[in-house]
Amino acid sequence: MPEYKTLIAILLMAFTTYATRVTAYIMLRNRVLTPRAMAVLKSSPGCVMLAFIAPFFASGNPADLIALCLTSFVAIGFSMPVTVISGVLFAFIFRYYLS
Amino acid sequence: MSEQRVDVSSAKTQKDNVQNSKKEILRGLKDGLPVLLGVIPFALVLGAQATHKGLNPFEVPLMTGLNFAGGSEFAAIQIWTSPPRLLLIIAVTLLVNSRHILMGATLVPLLSRFPKRKILPALFFMTDESWALSYNDAYSKKNRTAPLFSMPYYMAVSLSFYTMWVFCTTLGALIGPVLGDLHQYGFDMAFPAVFLVLVRGMWSGLYKAIPWIISLAVSVAFCHFIPGLWYVIAGPVTGLGIAALLGGNDA
Repeated sequence: MPEYKTLIAILLMAFTTYATRVTAYIMLRNRVLTPRAMAVLKSSPGCVMLAFIAPFFASGNPADLIALCLTSFVAIGFSMPVTVISGVLFAFIFRYYLS
Repeated sequence: MSEQRVDVSSAKTQKDNVQNSKKEILRGLKDGLPVLLGVIPFALVLGAQATHKGLNPFEVPLMTGLNFAGGSEFAAIQIWTSPPRLLLIIAVTLLVNSRHILMGATLVPLLSRFPKRKILPALFFMTDESWALSYNDAYSKKNRTAPLFSMPYYMAVSLSFYTMWVFCTTLGALIGPVLGDLHQYGFDMAFPAVFLVLVRGMWSGLYKAIPWIISLAVSVAFCHFIPGLWYVIAGPVTGLGIAALLGGNDA
């Protein structure tokens, strides 16, 4: 059985997270957006996705940096599965040999 | 006579719709698969760390199933104490997941053709991955006329992630101590690989990419110099500020 304080913490977390997921929809669904707001919206997916991978660039671990650069090149020309498999292999190989 | 005809044609559209949904579901599962496999080690590690911090194998799926946002769960587990500090946990969850607000905003125009009662439950399942894949899919070149958000595709990605996440975090909680260090196998690189491919898919010239590059640079700088998870907010907010400045000149 969960301890009740842990349970409360989990429920509060769940509520907070769900609120972040629906806030934009509830606030924006009946509005007409200006071209500037649309431009901001259009560029936000790329901004967010690249921010997700910042820790890999900032790690300072040479093996990770080399693997990441090679993966970026693969990503320019190849499909998702090929890129994912290459990325994992690069990370495995360089971490094995460089550390 | 005419009634019959209507019946026949509506039955036919219904059949078409079912077949179409099936195709969309399969497409979602297929596109989600490489990312899904990359998530497994994260989930195992999270489950293992959570038991290490004193959560039991019943509380772990409760958290990952009700909250269902990996980043915030990792962050919360790092700062978990017994008893947990509620305000701190809420603040960290809000900080890490505030990116959902931006992600949700990008979906608003795409979701306008669905009723609210469908959207509100569907948004519970929005993750970095299901959002990114579905957003990309909606704007992909096959939809020549207008961007089209596929609900069965989104739900297929989301539910397969949900099942895998809850199952593997529980498994991690149960077998955690015997796993050892998963980092050395390189599975974590699946994550940036996915996002690099998705950003490549959205690429439409260097000028439009200026906010992205600035977002990345600011995030990396924050990551390097400022401890904590501020980078997830600082980078995109700076990038979007630049996008707002450039947005007026270019349409």
